[in-house]
Order: sequence, then structure tokens, then C-alpha cells
Amino acid sequence: MPSLTDLAPPHVLNFESYVPSRPDEVLMRQYGVDRLLRLNNNENALGPPPAAREVLDAFPPVRGAVYPSGDCFFLREALGRAFGKDPERFLVGNGSCEVITSVIKAFCQPGDSIVTADKTFAVYEWVAAFSGIDARLVPLKVYAQDPDAMLDAVTERTKIVFVCNPNNPTGTWWDKATLERFLAGIGGRTVVVLDEAYREFVDSPDFPDGMEVMERHPNVLVFRTFSKMYGLAALRVGYLCGGQEAVDIVRRTHLVYSVNTPGQMAARAALEDGSGHLEATRRMVVQARGYLRSVFDSLGIEHVSGEGNYIMARVPVPDTLLYRLLMRQGVMIRTMTGFRFPNWIRVTLAQEPAMEAFSMAFRKALDGR
Amino acid sequence: MDTILSLETPPDIGYARVLTTAAEALARSRGLAAREQMRFQLAVEEFFTYLAQVVPEHGPIRTVLTGKPYQVCASIRFQASGLCLGALNAGCTAVPAGDGETGHPLSLMLAGRVADRFRIDRDGGDAFILHAEVDKAYPPAEAPGQCVAIRPPYRAGLESDPSLLMHAAALAASRYPAWHCPASFQTPGKFADMSGAGRFFSIIAQDAASHPAGILCWARSGDKGLAFSGPFVFAPPEDAAQVARLLTDAFLAAVAREKVEIVFSERATPDAPDGYFESLGSLTLHGQEGPSEQPVLYRHLREDAGETVWAAPELEGYLRGAYDRLAMCRDILTAHPPAAFERKRSLLSTTLDKNKGLAVLRPLLDGEDASANLAAHVQALSEKGVPNVLLYLDLSRAWEAALAGPAMEAGFRPRLVLPFAGRSDVLVFQHAQSD
Repeated sequence: MPSLTDLAPPHVLNFESYVPSRPDEVLMRQYGVDRLLRLNNNENALGPPPAAREVLDAFPPVRGAVYPSGDCFFLREALGRAFGKDPERFLVGNGSCEVITSVIKAFCQPGDSIVTADKTFAVYEWVAAFSGIDARLVPLKVYAQDPDAMLDAVTERTKIVFVCNPNNPTGTWWDKATLERFLAGIGGRTVVVLDEAYREFVDSPDFPDGMEVMERHPNVLVFRTFSKMYGLAALRVGYLCGGQEAVDIVRRTHLVYSVNTPGQMAARAALEDGSGHLEATRRMVVQARGYLRSVFDSLGIEHVSGEGNYIMARVPVPDTLLYRLLMRQGVMIRTMTGFRFPNWIRVTLAQEPAMEAFSMAFRKALDGR
Repeated sequence: MDTILSLETPPDIGYARVLTTAAEALARSRGLAAREQMRFQLAVEEFFTYLAQVVPEHGPIRTVLTGKPYQVCASIRFQASGLCLGALNAGCTAVPAGDGETGHPLSLMLAGRVADRFRIDRDGGDAFILHAEVDKAYPPAEAPGQCVAIRPPYRAGLESDPSLLMHAAALAASRYPAWHCPASFQTPGKFADMSGAGRFFSIIAQDAASHPAGILCWARSGDKGLAFSGPFVFAPPEDAAQVARLLTDAFLAAVAREKVEIVFSERATPDAPDGYFESLGSLTLHGQEGPSEQPVLYRHLREDAGETVWAAPELEGYLRGAYDRLAMCRDILTAHPPAAFERKRSLLSTTLDKNKGLAVLRPLLDGEDASANLAAHVQALSEKGVPNVLLYLDLSRAWEAALAGPAMEAGFRPRLVLPFAGRSDVLVFQHAQSD
């Protein structure tokens, strides 16, 4: 009798499945701590906006028995109003990971490739790998995605180029002119995904707005999420927007019913929230960034931080060791070896008490080595 | 590509001829010399002959012969209850009598000696797979001449070119003590063949003129670990730190998303850059220059998700201390020796590296005589002039962890824990006479 491994294709067998962190209560027991400060996933420490909280509080349990809107009808209408576009140009997914999967399924087949940076959000590479699609990884240049090298990596079999703007984890970003030069170089040969998961954290007028760029470049698809700025990470709501033709193609591979009703409702409310939640989050992030920069500077620790609610620092011990030393003090950060940044850590920017707790634990961990 | 011959035969010595003919043909086809062909043929014959006599009631024996560019291997799957392979022990010096074994243990002793190494996997229930390997013979390294100056700028990346790998291995073997080098560096052709077969992977640093400036190589170890050697640096002293960092950065970037948890090295060179690895402790090496301490290095590739391990009662305190020092979370379960053993004689595998003066023992089967068997191995190795004897216990198996007591009775002392280096963490003992 054949084994199950005989049935699976090599690109699946060779793929290393992602192991998420364990639940808080398990981690706290393992590390012997009675509180856990999560600074590892760039969640919004302020939580969801008030309007989204109200919707969640009021969600009637009986609606748990009813299927959600299969294509997120009302949320897409709200997105259309917010960005002045036809709702049909939006696809909502169970987080941006599902949208990434849909786009790769829509445009790529075995033998094709995608192009992305070697040190960026890993899901583009992962989805390509477990789908049997070649991921061509382009090195960063001074912590930033290198437009010329990415153009050089494009071949006739390249179907999608993923540009994470701002880049996770370095926070570097392409300005309007850089992006325009890049898109001119692509010349419509491939789909270009602008992943703007952290776009709402950017204040600079020189930051390109993908929602505007796509009107001049029909091969551009923009990804955004409610997980970061809108504090709805637990509800998993992300979306893409693009030209009608591109979105129609992706829709064919995109699952319906994958976004739950509370997620759709909370996302719509968050989008329409008028409480100043975005401004409050930006203020928190700016303050925390300044604080952690001064902490790292005072210790002579190299750090990198552009836009986004995170900061990356090069530590004088293995990042994985520092993770354990911080966990024993109830502080969780992201190790960067898996991002191919060995000995770097990424810290989510949060409220002052959390930053101070991190700082204290960080100093203690390094002093103890 | 590997050549694989698979045969399923009745447990009847009349079929030994079929197997030895296949073994010889395979060894010849992979370019093994006449002596190695004969050793492989003999190992297959003696193992099969023995098993055919002791397991006839258990049905067919399945033999898989695998030919790699650098080695041939026989994997013999059979079923047996109360299996006792004591005669395979390196410490076994005479034909045992009256010890409950049937058949002709002399054939087992012979098989164990003619193979370069063997191991046994349990395949569930009473099924076992016995693996016996014979290596291809290669010419030793010739000391490479030093006729070029290595100059910056340097670059480093994954390398698979056999000529470059051979050259770099020979350079490393000529400049670093044997302890730091994989055994195959002494025969660079073998290192290149093993690399071509996916046994080793290498990062090579090159200078502006593409001369090798350094090498770092690694191989899989267990299900969750990569064991690395190096960094070996050939650049001038003023550039050594830079080249070592380049090699280490390129290595970690190359393996960052591998299907493993850790990288580690029991033979890292002093060139390993600060801040990249954790020290797990050290081993005491006895060489011609006297004893020296060799640090054992390690690092996780991702966040530690914890693990459950077994520990003999007498080792529990030691392990808790080690894990606390490493800030590593482990659930420790107590492993007691069994009330009754399945077999009288335990079985250990012995891997010998003459260049390093090193023997590594690993338990394959438990038995009543574990402590005496360990002592017999030490005695036999001592008589062969092997000064460094290590014992590895995989803490994922309760019976193995419970061998800590017999190990200490036999003069072994715990030295360090290698996280995830086996199926789970591996506890490394060193024999007291050799530490």
C-alpha cells in the first residue's frame, strides 16, 4: 500500500510548515511567568476602534448559526465609499495571507516564478513554495528593497512581483518617484502587488498611495489589512483592490465565505469610525519609536526603523537566546533569524508602560550574559 | 543518484548467495575497490546468515542495498522477539557461550567488524532494521601549496563545485587540527562526493580573484538539527574576523528556513564569531599536546517551543540546572530502569574517528549488562589507544535516558546537553578517564 507521502508532491513534502507561537497560558506556564507582554506580532496595543468594539459587544449570539455574507457585500460597499471606487474592485479575505494565496493561484502555474525581497514578509515566499512556484528572492540594499535588482530578477516566467511598502521588518519604503520608475521598468509585464499592510502608519506626503497608483497602472494590486492599524488581528480581515480585470481574474480562485460575520461587521465599523483612533495609534507609535531608539542608542545597539509600528535591533547575542531570556521576564519579541536577519529582533511599538517593561527586561537580559 | 536494490527472501541461508552477488555487483558499480567490495559482501552475508538462523519463524527478510557515490549500505528488515545482538558490540572479544543466544555469534562479530559502521532502528513491535555501511576508499589529502595571496573584497555563498570543495577541504585539513574537521576533509574526494550526494552543504568565501578564503560546512543530525564544522578561514589574520562573519551570516541565512530547529557544533573553530552562538559547555580533548577544552556551540533557528524529555533520577538535578542555565523550558519526566529486561545483552554502536582519537558510543538495544557492556567498550577502546570516549543518550526515549545510571557506574560523567540534536535533546557523557 502506498504511503501518504507517495501521494504528496515534492514541493509540499519539502516545505517547512510554519509553527505559530503557543497560546499565552501555555507560554506563561512554560516560562514560569504570570503575565506575558506580546511585542512580537505588530498588533495594535490600543485595540480596535470604539465603533468596532460596539459592534462586537452587540453581536447577537444567535447570528452565529447563520452563514456570513459570502463575498463581504456590505464591507466591500464601505470600502468602495471610503476609497471612491466600485465595490466590485475589492476582494476581502481571511487576512492578507488568504489574499496572497488567491493571487498566486490566479496567475501562477508550475514553472512560473514570483519575485520578492529575501528579507521581507515571508508569506509571499511560503505560498509560492508550497504551491510549487519558484520564488526568486532579491537581496535588500541598505535594508531597503532594491528596485533595480528586482527588475533584473524578472524573467519571462515571472508573473507577480511582491513589493512590501513599507517593508516588514525594516520599515523602509519606496517613495512616489521610486515606485513610478519601477512600474515603468516592469512595463505591465507582471502583476505588481503593493502590500500596504502598514500604510496607515505612514505620514509622509511622499509615500505613494497604491489606491491612486492603480488607476494609472492596471497591473497593480494593492493589499491592505484590518489587523494592524485597526486592531482586528483576531478577526482576520484583509483585502485587495485593483483594476476590474485583474480583480475578476483573482476572484475565480478566491474562496467565498472565508470571512466571518463579526469580522466583516467590525471591519466596516472600524473603517467608518470617527473617534480619532488612527491618530491616537500614530501618536503612540511615534512616541514608542523615539523611546526605543534612545534605549538602543544608549546601549550602543544598532537599530533600523522606518515606518510601521515596529523597530528592529541587532543584538549582541543570538536572537533566539534573547527571546528565551526575555520570555523568562514575561516579554515576547520576534526573532529575526527566520527573516534571514540572524541576531536581530523586531519589537512592536506600543504604550509607554510596555516599552519600559521591554527596556528593563532587555537591559537585564544583556547584563546577565 | 542512489542505486537501490531491494530483495525479499525467505530466512534460508540458501539465499545468502543471491544477496552477496547483489552486494558485490552494487559495490563494484559504485566504484568501490576490491577490498571494500569484499567487506560489503561479507557484512551482508554474515548478517543474513545469522538472522536466517535466529528468526526463521518470523517470515521473510527484506534487504535493501543502497549505493551512494561514497558508500554502500545494506538495510536488513526482519522480525524477532527478544532480539539479542550482543556479539556486535565492539567490546565483545570472544565467542559468547551459554548466554542464551542461538545461531553463530561469531558471524555477528565478523559482520560488525567488517562494516565501517552499523545501527539498528526499531520499526514498531518486533520489527527491526539493521543498517550496515561500508565506505569507499579515497586517497588522502595532499597539503596544498601556498602560492597565492588572499585579498579583499570577500564574498560568500553556497557552493557545490566539486573542485572548489576539494581544494577548500584540503586547505582546512592542512591548517586546522583534525578535531575541528569532518573526517572526510582528510580525503577531500570523499568530501566532494558526499557534498554531491547531499550529505554535506558548504558556504565558501572567496576573495576578489575567486581564491577560497574560507569554508563552513554542515550536515543533518537527527530530525531537528544541523551539525556544522568551521568556520575555517584562509584569509590573512587581519581579515580573518570579517571572513568568519561572512561565512556565518551566509550559513545562517541559508538554513534560516530549513526544516530544523537548531544548528550546533562540537568542533567549531576558534574563528566562530562572538555573539552568534551559545556555549553549551565543553568537552575535554586528549591529544598529543595534552588535554584541552573544546567549547560546544549551538543556536536555535526559531523561537524555542519547549520539549518533553526523560531523565534518570540521578540526572534530573543536572538536567534542570543545564536547562535553567540555557533559559530553556522542558518538561522532565522520570525514567526508571525496567523491572525486567527484554534481553540479557545490550547493544551499543561505536563510531571511531582515528584522526581525532575519538569514539562515540550510542545505545541501540537495552539489556541487563548495560554497565558492564559500557565498561567493556571503554576497555576495548583504551587498548586501541583511543583517548576520547563519548556516550550520547537521546532523552526522547525513556530506556535510553535510564542508562545514565549504568553510564556513571561505568565511569562516564555528564558534560552537556545538545538540544534537539537527536529525536529530542541529547545528553553527552564523557568517560572519566578521557576528560
